[in-house]
Amino acid sequence: MSQATHSTSVTSTPAPSAARRRKRILSALEGYLYLAPTLIGLALFVYIPIFTSFRLSLNRIAPFGNRMRFVGFENYVNLLTDSDYWNSVRITLLFVLGTVPTGIFLAVVLAILLSYPVAHLKSLHRTLIFVPVIISSAVAGVLFRWLFHPVVGYLNFWMVQAGFFDSMKDAPNWLASKNWALLAVIIATTWRQLGFNVIIALAGVQNIDETFYDASKVDGAGTLQRLRHITLPLLSPTLFFLLIINVIYSFQAFGEIHVLTEGGPGRATTTLVYSIFYDAFVGTPQRGIASAQAYILAVMVVVMSYINFAVVNRRVHYQ
Amino acid sequence: MKRFATTLTLLLIFMLVFAACAAPVAAPEGDAAATEAPAEEAADAGAADAAADGDVITLEFWHAMSGNLNDLVDELVARFNDSQDGIVVNATYQGSYDDTYNALLAAFDAGGAPNIVQNFDLASQTMIDTGRLVPAWQLMEADGYDASVFVDAVRDYYSDENGMVGMAFNSSTPLVYYNADMLAAAGVEMPEGSMSFSEFKALCDQILAADDAPPYCVTFGQVGWYFEEILANSGGLYFNENNGRTGRPTEVVFNQEQGVEVFSFLTGLISEGYAPNLGNTWTDTDSTFLTQQAAIIFDSTSDVSIIQNSEFQVDTTYIPHSDSSDRNGVVIGGAALWLIDSGDEAVNNAAWQFMKFLAEPAQQITWHTGSGYFPVRKDVQESEEIQTFWAENPNFQTAVDQLFTTPTTLDDGTPNYAVLGGRAGPFPAIRRLIVEAYSRVLNDGLSPQEALDEAAEKANDELANYNAFFE
Repeated sequence: MSQATHSTSVTSTPAPSAARRRKRILSALEGYLYLAPTLIGLALFVYIPIFTSFRLSLNRIAPFGNRMRFVGFENYVNLLTDSDYWNSVRITLLFVLGTVPTGIFLAVVLAILLSYPVAHLKSLHRTLIFVPVIISSAVAGVLFRWLFHPVVGYLNFWMVQAGFFDSMKDAPNWLASKNWALLAVIIATTWRQLGFNVIIALAGVQNIDETFYDASKVDGAGTLQRLRHITLPLLSPTLFFLLIINVIYSFQAFGEIHVLTEGGPGRATTTLVYSIFYDAFVGTPQRGIASAQAYILAVMVVVMSYINFAVVNRRVHYQ
Repeated sequence: MKRFATTLTLLLIFMLVFAACAAPVAAPEGDAAATEAPAEEAADAGAADAAADGDVITLEFWHAMSGNLNDLVDELVARFNDSQDGIVVNATYQGSYDDTYNALLAAFDAGGAPNIVQNFDLASQTMIDTGRLVPAWQLMEADGYDASVFVDAVRDYYSDENGMVGMAFNSSTPLVYYNADMLAAAGVEMPEGSMSFSEFKALCDQILAADDAPPYCVTFGQVGWYFEEILANSGGLYFNENNGRTGRPTEVVFNQEQGVEVFSFLTGLISEGYAPNLGNTWTDTDSTFLTQQAAIIFDSTSDVSIIQNSEFQVDTTYIPHSDSSDRNGVVIGGAALWLIDSGDEAVNNAAWQFMKFLAEPAQQITWHTGSGYFPVRKDVQESEEIQTFWAENPNFQTAVDQLFTTPTTLDDGTPNYAVLGGRAGPFPAIRRLIVEAYSRVLNDGLSPQEALDEAAEKANDELANYNAFFE
């Protein structure tokens, strides 16, 4: 971009020969040619769909494809006055609150443990912790479905063996009970995201210069004080990054929900994204309504990110 | 010079990338070949004539059969391709029915629609409303094909007032599978035919009272299908306008007497502890039954894996009906093949040849014995191969009997609309409301009547929204 500005300012200087000017234009063109794959990709898959979906959101689109009825903002009004939709908003927020702080907290604890107390076992532990990341969310979902099964699942079986419950019938019905389903999905999602978080947190922890610790030891700081006054503040840029990434990831979570509960029981795990998917692609597709939901979600994510930057960023210490 | 070479290389790369991108959207070769085929050859046995001229018609066939069913489809397609020279069928697996349908919608917009597409029972009205079909009855009429070869229930399910619209391909119904060893050990005998709800619960009480009884009597997923089927078996309707068979339905009627009795039975099985609450699932029930945690399972006739994977004797019987009714029969489930109008009669006719081929007895026998889906025509019953197969696999016989004994007309001569099955544009969306209604009863403590009323209200909105496209 700056190069383009630069070249126009140069062309305005007195009397460049026509050949030189053509060469300049050509070289600018060449620059855009290099950028073209990205620009075309973005246009095709991001910008054009953004406009198309806004147009779609103002219509009701027939599930059989070839008919559209312009309804203005009726889709938006219907959504915002629909208690099911607000319930999805509530569930999404609960899901984000359930996955993000837990995920980051566990990641930091594990990163610190892996850096210091159990550092000698690091490659084994790191592998074990990172494996979930490379498993697809669908596979993870199926694994958890087996674990959570109320009749033949291992999780309840172990809890009964351990004496927490008298029989399988008393143990939680993870996926079919409204009280447990969201928690079950949160557990599965946190587990799968944990590996990524730990890797990032680990890099952050190991980036902290040893001299800070040496200096604090000289000053007589204990382990907890070092954690509180050195590790955490210096880790804050990493934590901020994790927060942003995890919030976005949680808002977009799909695979685990789809495989584990399909948004059920009832609508107890229907998050905003899952609701968009369901309305747009399943059974009787309603793309107009789904597009309107996508727009509302986009506004929410922008607001969330703004809050993150405006509020949280002030508490971040850069080294 | 060097710069020129780089630019050229980049341009080449773009061209390659764009060629690759464009491929799926471009019209399939079949269309090109088709437009070249002379139109006058189209009328009757166009395919054979075209072959004589050396023109080959390529057909795109999109289906949703995965795993071993996919292999079986490929086998049938290969058999068709080998049987003649004029038509080549290209079968592609497109994912689930939903995936296939979404791909079809996209293809309608962008070009490259297939010639034949498989879509499931509930989508019938939506498929018709696309306005892109060639109805099967038109081709049958032109060909002098007699639709009465098909099993009545199957034929009528996919018919409108003119005749069959889609060609039934993979058809299934629900069935009651039970662990015969377990029942024998409990000293319980399964009665013949369809049980009433109270007979069913009495049987469950006997099973659960035995020593070494399993923790549960029965297991089933909270999918909309069993409600629809048991409602039909009890003679209840789902939609007004005679189940949507004599006009576009404007209201659901599943929250009336029969519907409430059926839904009370199904939710009662779970809340009274006869069945585990497994949520909306097709698979978690299998593991419950196969590990002998439940003696009975409701499942599809096409789920042959239940029998193959069990370490005990599995027998089958008909699905139950309400106390206040007599057994009325089952609605055919599964999916059909829909012929998409290519705009070229020769191509449409070629697609019809393929569909006709799949409905022939030989192919039907391969399909039935390999997949567990029904043979869709009556005369295969007389085949010796099928008779031997049924003798060795009596569970298939039960499934076939349950369907073949389903009357499509009542004693007074009127159509048996309950077993013809509901037809409505937004039926898939309405099915989901029933799934939610289970949770409203089991999690939120609503009565079955309240949950169905709530679902009905939402369902009526869905119907109104859909019908608004036709005002």
